[in-house]
Amino acid sequence: MTQLLFFNVFNGLIVGAFYALMALGLSLILNLSGVINFAHGGFLAIGGYLAYSLIPYIGFWGALVLAPVLTAFIGILVERVLIRRLYGRDPLYSLLLTFGLAFIIEDGTRFIWGAQSLPFQVPSWLVTPLSDDYFFLTGYRLFMVLVVGIAVAGLFFILNRTRLGIRIRAGTLDLETVSVLGVNVRLLRNMNFGLGIYLAGLAGVLAVGQLGLQPTIGASLIMPSFVAIIVGGLGSLPGTLLGGMLIGVASGITTVFFPSATEAVIYVMMAAVLLVRPRGLLGEEGRF
Amino acid sequence: MSSESFSIKLDRRALIKTAAAVGVAQIASPFVITARAADTVKIGLDNPLTGTYAALGKNELIGAKLALEHINAKGGILGRKVELLVEDSTSGDAGTAVQKARKLIDRDKVDFLVGNINSALAQAIANVAYEKKVFHVVPGGHTDSVTGSNCHWNVFRICNTTQMEASAVASSLIKNAGKKWYYLTPDYAFGHTLQAGLEKAAAKLGGTKVGGDLTPLGTTDYSSYLIKAQAAKPDVIIFLQAGDDAVNALKQAVQFGLNKKFHLAGAQQELEVLLGLPPEARIGTWVFEWYWNQPNVPHVKEFVAEIRKASGGHVPTARTWFGYAAISTCAIAAQQVKSLDAVKMAKAMQGFKLPPEIALMPDGAYFRKGQGQLIPDLFVGQAQSKGASDPEDLFKVSDVVKGESVAESLAETGCKQTWPS
Repeated sequence: MTQLLFFNVFNGLIVGAFYALMALGLSLILNLSGVINFAHGGFLAIGGYLAYSLIPYIGFWGALVLAPVLTAFIGILVERVLIRRLYGRDPLYSLLLTFGLAFIIEDGTRFIWGAQSLPFQVPSWLVTPLSDDYFFLTGYRLFMVLVVGIAVAGLFFILNRTRLGIRIRAGTLDLETVSVLGVNVRLLRNMNFGLGIYLAGLAGVLAVGQLGLQPTIGASLIMPSFVAIIVGGLGSLPGTLLGGMLIGVASGITTVFFPSATEAVIYVMMAAVLLVRPRGLLGEEGRF
Repeated sequence: MSSESFSIKLDRRALIKTAAAVGVAQIASPFVITARAADTVKIGLDNPLTGTYAALGKNELIGAKLALEHINAKGGILGRKVELLVEDSTSGDAGTAVQKARKLIDRDKVDFLVGNINSALAQAIANVAYEKKVFHVVPGGHTDSVTGSNCHWNVFRICNTTQMEASAVASSLIKNAGKKWYYLTPDYAFGHTLQAGLEKAAAKLGGTKVGGDLTPLGTTDYSSYLIKAQAAKPDVIIFLQAGDDAVNALKQAVQFGLNKKFHLAGAQQELEVLLGLPPEARIGTWVFEWYWNQPNVPHVKEFVAEIRKASGGHVPTARTWFGYAAISTCAIAAQQVKSLDAVKMAKAMQGFKLPPEIALMPDGAYFRKGQGQLIPDLFVGQAQSKGASDPEDLFKVSDVVKGESVAESLAETGCKQTWPS
């Protein structure tokens, strides 16, 4: 029993790391632009499908690098053409827009790649368990955690050490002043959106290594990411990371005691956080 | 700015909106195959085209279209051309499915209703068809109640009941893999009845359940369930997930190397799932409800060739056959009684044996009297990573099980039909 619990906590951290990766992208976009990006799961799917199409030409590693970048470009384009028009309006507008976009992307991928789920293969040496006892520790899953770690470190580096990042953080706090100071806010938001979508694309390539590649893959992964943001606290990237890990562990532990509630438990957690501490665990007061 | 220019702007927008709405309406109204004519016979297909079951729905549609082609090439039904009205029921929204069924029946005045893949939706629209006294064929929703406790005189089903699938695979599993089973079961009607069927069938043969978990529909990460399953040390881990859930669960189980420690198996398996898995995860003992590679059965080769032509080279799956058999059944029922009267047609189909060019299996298939359930052959065998002769030959049939030998008796199913006087 203790071993089972330990395994599930450990495993939950791995699962949570993945949720966090997706939630970080969502959180970036939400913080700076006030856009609740419901199409994030759609961009995740695009990342996975692009990787699938690229693998025959440039291999898994090439696709892992290139597919998220291409996804980010699509994201930048979508921001320029559609999302930009709704800044400054009630968040409901962009929510409705991205909600519709999510359906369009889902049907678009179905139209291009077909409804049949596709066999996505990662290098076989990556998907063997490293130890007989810890059979759930495959090279691929550790690699995934590693990539999440690098992405998070990179993101924190960009935000804290680069001009772009400092502007993004400043813009998050007070967009008006930043714009008065001569920063091109449109470009800033555009780049920030691209960065968020890059993370979605990366999550997509990593996800299809262990899930089936089908048009609905984004829809099934988006909700835990939103919950991670709310639990961790709006406006706080460390909070988002914490939120992701927490829901991963919570659903892992629930599997031991009450398996059919593993999905429900994360929403119970969200409700509890909203009741007791509405701004989330590490969130700032007064946002939204 | 004057109010005039504002109103002009509004008008332009309104115009575009109206134009867009008209455009959408064109797409939204049923997608009619073959031209509309004054006195056609209409078949309404209310099946998923989007969501989780989109791939299965598409394949049933391919089969349905081929059946339609065959029927019209032979002069239609009672000398009238037949048209197929296709609606997207969605994959899981019973409200939409029921509304589409009512629309097909009330507004489009269909003579036959066909659908649905999702068990819950199949049951919901069967209730509508019963209320409206419309001849209804369920191509691929498996839960027992459709032709069991909730059966109706007007409802016929092509695919098997979950109980039949469970019984068909149980003896093979006990013989070849062991008696201690652990269940991973999707938490909805289909999964519940499938597990109940397997437990019952296993108990008769001395099999025991050493544990099991209900997994929410749409679960993406199965690692925590798999950790529990291996801790229970079963002989067999039984996967009852369908569609995308099955792809996720099996892919992860094989990555964790569980196939090297336990026998992985289940009841129903589909070619769509195996095609979506990487080759190393195409493993396990399963039931297929229909399989395309039947070299010695007449008419199968021709059917496969025709479907390949219609689907860009792909072989038919069980779903393609469900769609084909469902539409063909409608035509046969009408031809039998030379009428489109639902009661007369339903009476004629009691105990009716499908002709071999429709049944496409060694022992044929018939609708059981008093239940509306088709009793076909079931194909038990092993998944294989790649076919010897064809890349889509991913299943090796080891045993063709006669439906009669695994179906419960009519009394056991709990089906009691009340016919209109």
